[in-house]
Amino acid sequence: MLLFDILLPGLVLGGMYALIALGLTLQYGVARIMNLSYGESLVAAAFGALSLYSGLHLSPLAALLLAVPIAVLLNWLLYRLLLERLARRGKDSGGQEIDSILVTFGVLFVIQGIMLVAFGGQYYSYSYLSIPVVILGSTLAVNRLAALAFAAVIGVAVYLALTRTRIGTAVRAIAVDANAARLVGIDVRALAGLAFAFGGGLVAAGGVLVSMFLTFNASMGVIFTMKALVVVIMGGVGNVMGALVAGLLLGVVETAVARLVDPGLTLAATYALFLAVLLIRPTGLFGRASS
Amino acid sequence: MFSANRRKLLRMASATAMAVALGTAASSAGAQDKIRIGYAISKTGPYAGGASITTLPNYQLWVKDVNAAGGVKLGDKRLPIEVVEYDDRSSSEEAVKAIERLANQDKVDFILPPWGTGLNLAVGPTLNRLGYPHLAVTSVTDKAPELAKRWSNATFWLGTSTQISNALAELLGKLKSEGKIGGSIAMVSVADQFGIELAAAGREAFKKAGFTLAYDKTYPLGSQDIQPLMKDAMAAGADTFIAFSYPPDTLALTEQAQLLKFNPKIFYVGVGTAFPLFKDKFAANSDGVMGIGGWNADSPLLKDYLARHKAATGQEPDRWASSITYASLQVLQQAIEKVGKVDRAAVANEIRSGTFDTIIGKVKLKDGLLQEVWSVGQWQNGEFYGLAPTSLPGARASVVPKPQWQ
Amino acid sequence: MKRETRIVIWSIGLAAASAVIAFPFYANGYYLALGISILYFTVLATAWAIFSGPTRYISLATAAFFGIGAYTAAVTAETLPWPLVLLAAAGVGAVVAAITGLSTLRLSGIYFVIFSFGLAEFIRQLVIWYEVNVHKSVGRYLFSDVTQDVLYWQLLGLVVLVLSAAWLLKRSRYGLALRAIGADETAARHSGIDATVVKLLAFVLSAVFMSVTGAAMAPRWTYIDPAIAFNPMISFQVVIMALLGGANSLFGPLLGVIPLVLLFEVLTAALPNHFSIVLGAIFVFIVMALPQGVMGILEDWWRWVGGDRAAPVAVFRRARSHGATLFCGRPKVGIGADTGPLLAVDAVSKSFGGLRAVEKVSFKVGRGQIIGIIGPNGSGKTTLLNVLSGALAPSSGTIRFAGTLINSLPAHRIARLGLARTFQLVRVMPGLTAAENVAAAALFRATSTKAGEAHETIQKLLALVGLGAARETPAGELTYIDQKRLELARALALEPRLVLLDEWLAGLNPSELETGIALIAQLRDSGLTIIMVEHVMDAIRALCGHCIVMNSGGVIAEGSPEQVLADPKVVTAYLGDGDA
Repeated sequence: MLLFDILLPGLVLGGMYALIALGLTLQYGVARIMNLSYGESLVAAAFGALSLYSGLHLSPLAALLLAVPIAVLLNWLLYRLLLERLARRGKDSGGQEIDSILVTFGVLFVIQGIMLVAFGGQYYSYSYLSIPVVILGSTLAVNRLAALAFAAVIGVAVYLALTRTRIGTAVRAIAVDANAARLVGIDVRALAGLAFAFGGGLVAAGGVLVSMFLTFNASMGVIFTMKALVVVIMGGVGNVMGALVAGLLLGVVETAVARLVDPGLTLAATYALFLAVLLIRPTGLFGRASS
Repeated sequence: MFSANRRKLLRMASATAMAVALGTAASSAGAQDKIRIGYAISKTGPYAGGASITTLPNYQLWVKDVNAAGGVKLGDKRLPIEVVEYDDRSSSEEAVKAIERLANQDKVDFILPPWGTGLNLAVGPTLNRLGYPHLAVTSVTDKAPELAKRWSNATFWLGTSTQISNALAELLGKLKSEGKIGGSIAMVSVADQFGIELAAAGREAFKKAGFTLAYDKTYPLGSQDIQPLMKDAMAAGADTFIAFSYPPDTLALTEQAQLLKFNPKIFYVGVGTAFPLFKDKFAANSDGVMGIGGWNADSPLLKDYLARHKAATGQEPDRWASSITYASLQVLQQAIEKVGKVDRAAVANEIRSGTFDTIIGKVKLKDGLLQEVWSVGQWQNGEFYGLAPTSLPGARASVVPKPQWQ
Repeated sequence: MKRETRIVIWSIGLAAASAVIAFPFYANGYYLALGISILYFTVLATAWAIFSGPTRYISLATAAFFGIGAYTAAVTAETLPWPLVLLAAAGVGAVVAAITGLSTLRLSGIYFVIFSFGLAEFIRQLVIWYEVNVHKSVGRYLFSDVTQDVLYWQLLGLVVLVLSAAWLLKRSRYGLALRAIGADETAARHSGIDATVVKLLAFVLSAVFMSVTGAAMAPRWTYIDPAIAFNPMISFQVVIMALLGGANSLFGPLLGVIPLVLLFEVLTAALPNHFSIVLGAIFVFIVMALPQGVMGILEDWWRWVGGDRAAPVAVFRRARSHGATLFCGRPKVGIGADTGPLLAVDAVSKSFGGLRAVEKVSFKVGRGQIIGIIGPNGSGKTTLLNVLSGALAPSSGTIRFAGTLINSLPAHRIARLGLARTFQLVRVMPGLTAAENVAAAALFRATSTKAGEAHETIQKLLALVGLGAARETPAGELTYIDQKRLELARALALEPRLVLLDEWLAGLNPSELETGIALIAQLRDSGLTIIMVEHVMDAIRALCGHCIVMNSGGVIAEGSPEQVLADPKVVTAYLGDGDA
């Protein structure tokens, strides 16, 4: 049935988008860093998975166990050594956010440059779990389903962590009002760094998973950053569930437009939706940080 | 209009200071003891993918080969090649500036072209004005004949998009008359100049050859989900599937087809099919897939080239423009040697008019365009053989229907 | 400045200008290409700074407009003569800028940045779709005989034009308005500045220059497709260049462009393989090294490099004495009859979601009265003032000011009609001097202001509030008390008939309180009508003839101060039950 044929692949595509965006919603929502180098981290993780797969024949799913902690550590270092200073000197949060865009833009170039030196500019691709499976009449690839599954599991896990644990609640408090959080004794500095690092871990997970089926090269980071940004803004900054739902929605919309309207308009539709949400409800479809 | 050799009368102070920092040492006037060859290639940016497969390795291989043999023969001396290399960052503006830098600051003897239609067109007028021979190899456009007329120093080596579509249509027509395929085609094309030209030419050519287009859609560059497109194309029920696509989508389409168990009698995808990456990713499943390009894999010259390319650069050449790139450089070298001195105008002329021996055979350009260009190739037993134009030497018979995906 | 020094400076200037103009005659192709790079980035950076500098809306849409210009040129070059091509590019750029500029009504800060960034991508997708489906071909060929020389001179002309435009804008009242908007948009709106129109004009002006630059550059590349025309890198490069050099001084962007362009060149030539890494590191370094961040740089530059001094605002120069009356009394064109109450508030309510901040408040204010509005915290007093001044729209009810319905009017219109206000949390424009703060209102009030008049008015108002000596002091450096006084001066500069004072006397020590009360009395005596929200009961008793008491959004008592302060309902409202 056409509806399922649009809905299911749409959700699978959306799952990928949601997965990609989860990390950014934490980094921006909590740490207030609009991380333009986000896509580069994703591609770097993809390259990592590729190297492990072709070099050591390590399954990407196992590579996750390696990639995520390393990414968390590197992102935490990035935050402590560089981005934290922006937080400290920002007179107002608006200025800090704009500074963070420009600084991370520079970081984008650094990461991209390193990847170019290491891997060159050509396209890389490998296939893993490229097995078809038929669900409700639609044929879907196992690796993409795995991405969707991971997105859902990680999303729900993060949501539970944010709402059911003490640290999670503290993190949410920071996202709502950092100053007030400070006043009630929350160590904003440490937790913001933690959130940023954790967001970096999430994007690494995303990178490893999508590397199973996407073709990528060192210059592709910007595309992923833009997609993640769209999902984050649409879902409400800092809102994990919002990012999940917005990602799925975006995937379904894109697939629907491709099947029902014109495949040539998919990207235009994405940006139109994005700009519309920005204009009509800048706080996102689901509002700010209400997780 | 003014020539590039203005005498310097004044200099701005800051420009002078920077000139010291910027200018690489100009070659000494007088006795020439090497040949300076410069190029700006896309090492970063969106074109880096294509450039690092097709162009840069061949530039490196060629320089290595020439210098291993002692250098380029000028008169009775052999002069080694010295390379000046820049990154044009896939930007038209940078490419133009780089040409000016190579010509005016580094004062190179010859300039090798950038990768891709866009950049070659950007540097075309400048190279023309400065008088450097312009080997616009990786430039495929229907405007090629017109450009060759406009720029007498430029030569084009991959034919036009129309030629590619026509050769494909001719091949398909033959197969139809042999009863191997039916009369309907499902076609998708990427919404970029190359894809559009191919599709436009294809529509006409297929109609003339007696085919109907059961599905005809374009998709945006950078689409990450090709499945909806694929499904609709499948639903059209045609024997032949044609995708005028770029490397990321070429791979994605092929992968989707396998997933969906889409086994048309002919499966043709666009740019990227001829890349070693395709064979590496799909292994045995690549057999039977058709695409743009092809070469006469049995030719001993090309076999030797393949081995040398792999040894020198660590990667295999692509089966479309790589060998032609290398051949064009051989033509350049032979033209320089025939002229006997660094006379750019004479060399450009010689390239246009002379006959040369290269790894792809004898090369003689007609009105600045290479005539014998493979348009359709097919992976057979792990090698991408040229199928069409069927008149070219070494054209293989097609394997139809394509074996089922495993 | 000595005559000799002047001659020397002029000679150097002329020599430099000649060298720049004659550059194509003596520079080789490479240096000419470099010169072209410097020129086109200068135009882009200066154009960017025209809008983003004063208003602090950091725009990343440069690539969008540059691309639009390039594409327009590619489309029209075959059919139109070159000057018309440039004009067409300007036109298309203006139209697109006007449409997208309206977005600034709804977005600010980081959201505007992101929106502007997404704009280039969106426009690019639209262009691709159009090309594919309507034009059936994606790339456009642009063969022209425009040589590097001609391109250089075109760009040089553009540089002169954009610098002139920027300079003229700075000197005009719109330049001041832009800076006021950037400093405190709410205060600016309440000073009679139509912020939307002013921002839009600046945005469109900026975009036009960017589009024309794109059009001028297009022939250089021969082949234009959406990827080539809309290159997001340009947006970031321009921002960094303008910020490095100083976005609020006239030549700041130029000073930022030259070193960075040359730096890029050196990096490209010397480190082709590591360009990205080094470039990124430099970006990071530049932003980290700016001590107060990018925004801080904007404020600093405001204060002491070109920004202020180079923006003399012509109005300040030609001080012609005019016996101008300072405030109030001048009848405005088209306003209702002189009889009847000055302000009639009828059943006005304001809700925020489920919260009813103001509930069916009605009262009338006659000319020359001082009305006091009192009530415990949270009773809706400030919300009421916000509704009256146009900062908020009422949920229901009507407000008539001198007979005119003002419910739905925007704040700046209400200000121009003669209703001014001060704010509970004082809103001065910190980066502007005291005189400029007052000028913002003086230049945008309803009656047209001749240059010299404004100067006189400002001086008199500052003297009136006791800030005569602090003309040139940046408002951010004034003490709290002085800032309050400045706010009052700015409100008075509108020549209002009614002034809303929101806890203006709060936080004053006894002697300052005395002075303040005397000042308000003086204003009333000269014919001004005043509504004051206050907690200082002495002031209420001393000044107000009539009082309104609010609690929980509604009016609970009205009458003279003695009456209401003795009213048991009022006492209960303030002190709670059991203490009446």
